[in-house]
Amino acid sequence: MTYMNVKDLPRPAPGAIRPSQYGPQTETGLPRMRAADLPGMVGLPIADLFPDVPKAIYVEGDDLEPLRRATAKSLENVDMSMIKERSTVNILASQYGFMIMGGYAYREVIRTIKEVVEQRTGCRKIRLRVATGFRLKEPEEVIKHYGLDEMFDGKALPALYIDQGVPIETPIGTLMGIKRIYDADFIIHCHHGELRELDMHRMISRTMKPFSMSYARFETRSVHHMNFGPRSSNLIPRLVFESDYVQKKWAFGVFMAASPQGVTGIEAGNDLMPIDRKLALLAFKSYGKIRELYNEIKDCVAIIDGTGEPRYMVGGGTTFGNLTEAELDLFDLDTVPVSLGFGLYQPPPTQPKLKPVNPSIRALVMNHFWTGVPQMELANSCPMVLVGQEMAKLVEEDCMNIEMIHRCVTARDLPAAVNFARRIGGSDNLIVFDGSYGYLTCNEQLAELLIQRAPIADRRVEEELMPKWLRQRGFDPSEAL
Amino acid sequence: MVTLNYKAAVIDKNCTGCKKCVWVCPTEAIHMEKNIAVINDDLCMSCPNCHGICPDDAITRVPRAQPKELQVPIDDVPIEDVHALCRKANLHPKQWHCLCTATRVHEAAAAVLKGAITPEKIALETGTRSGCTVYCAMMSMRLLEAAGHEVKQPEKWRLYPTTQTLWDVPQEVIDKYAGYFLEEDKDVFRKF
Repeated sequence: MTYMNVKDLPRPAPGAIRPSQYGPQTETGLPRMRAADLPGMVGLPIADLFPDVPKAIYVEGDDLEPLRRATAKSLENVDMSMIKERSTVNILASQYGFMIMGGYAYREVIRTIKEVVEQRTGCRKIRLRVATGFRLKEPEEVIKHYGLDEMFDGKALPALYIDQGVPIETPIGTLMGIKRIYDADFIIHCHHGELRELDMHRMISRTMKPFSMSYARFETRSVHHMNFGPRSSNLIPRLVFESDYVQKKWAFGVFMAASPQGVTGIEAGNDLMPIDRKLALLAFKSYGKIRELYNEIKDCVAIIDGTGEPRYMVGGGTTFGNLTEAELDLFDLDTVPVSLGFGLYQPPPTQPKLKPVNPSIRALVMNHFWTGVPQMELANSCPMVLVGQEMAKLVEEDCMNIEMIHRCVTARDLPAAVNFARRIGGSDNLIVFDGSYGYLTCNEQLAELLIQRAPIADRRVEEELMPKWLRQRGFDPSEAL
Repeated sequence: MVTLNYKAAVIDKNCTGCKKCVWVCPTEAIHMEKNIAVINDDLCMSCPNCHGICPDDAITRVPRAQPKELQVPIDDVPIEDVHALCRKANLHPKQWHCLCTATRVHEAAAAVLKGAITPEKIALETGTRSGCTVYCAMMSMRLLEAAGHEVKQPEKWRLYPTTQTLWDVPQEVIDKYAGYFLEEDKDVFRKF
């Protein structure tokens, strides 16, 4: 159904929040009010904005069975003959997969991989390794919350970037993996195709990125982020992945493909390159259009209200990081982002971006998020309002953003914070990042604007931008989804 | 200026003496006494590593009685020397050295020129590695290497002294991996 009148739009359905030691310590570990419960908020269906964005086989709360079937089917043509009955196998997972739609989809994919491998190879020594971005205790929390130790018969362990390393020889010298990631005869790379940080991966070797991030010691993460540039950095994971050390252990990869609608399918294979191409095509078609639509928003107040750090928090099936850089076409490889991740502090002279955060974001309301990730650029670039004293205490104690508490104010509750942000930001457009897929939580005024502008964004992607994105990566235009 | 308001503290009754915290502390602030971890407050940067690796919940963070302020004034050394060291390391003086503390490369370069000849000393003088501890170590290693100071492998795995930059990629790799913008990204760093 197409909603022509915003008054007919459904109520929003925010994603569930997972309590954590990295979030505000309220009585329940959850916010007292969700942004979706503010007056006048609606759930704007992505399918109505872009009818040709690939449909989901799963969104949060659905029956997991279709996901399980899709995973099993994707594994049918995967060669597992290298895995013998007495082999040891590590399934490699990353923390972010558990932030997507409550985490149970990723859990089900992992569980299905384990069961299929056991069935086909007779191998019983299958272990799980859960890697993390920055929050060192997060893998422990994940393993406990999702019952992964029980699922893996006591063989699920965190893999931290400060754990013992293992040298990996590459054509540019020794890079450092995490020993616990590779302490098996074979590895199975289980990841997601959600767009997340386009400013970093640029859809270049996207499937391999965890080999120099999640699965790497901090030295190699630092080589990736600080020593190489906003496009060339993506060579580092490829060199690690193609190293003799990794290839000797390599079994196959499994990806939870996603669009703003939800999980669209499962891609698996022994060769990552075809999966890489499929995920790129999916991203151009779906996230490309949402990004362009976000670029149509000229002023807004963004409300952060979900699980994880702000940049990775999802609204309308797309992470907040895509709004903070919406005014740049980051699929276009000629564009160089201003990204703190590469140590750049100002744009190169020929680049258009003036601030590290999209100036259309006039104010930020932080209702619920996790600390433990460097994100000072948010508070430096736009007015920030924290909701409640628990959130203020959390920010004050955050060693990764030690100045943030001096760059923001605290409101007693969410309505007060939103009112203040509206006044100081001079905008009545409210957009919410609350973990929802398939629907964007926003107020009626913004919904009206987005409905009106979606055809423009759609046409621009199809006719102007997509051909360039394809050409830059050596795709034939006929391959476009 | 980096202000440290917190420090790590050991909960003695929980400590099992595994030494994991000792091996990951970026500033060698932890040693063992009678099989219990002991933290030197003067060296503690209050980073998350010891707490994060501890399997026994034996380390917490507590407020310092007096906040500790760290900064290396750039004016203490000739600016042309700072710029020369940065150039040799292929780093822009105003590039971020540490994202968490908003420290720029020129301050760390000044620290090196004033005698900080290890990554630990750079951290203790500038306040870097008090946050995530992930990205600033590499920048310190590049400056030290450019200044002619060898970074040695410490006991266990606090740090592996390996660093590669865009400028270390051999020509045959550049030729083999087209589409990664290796030469173009060098220009990005040179220009900005």
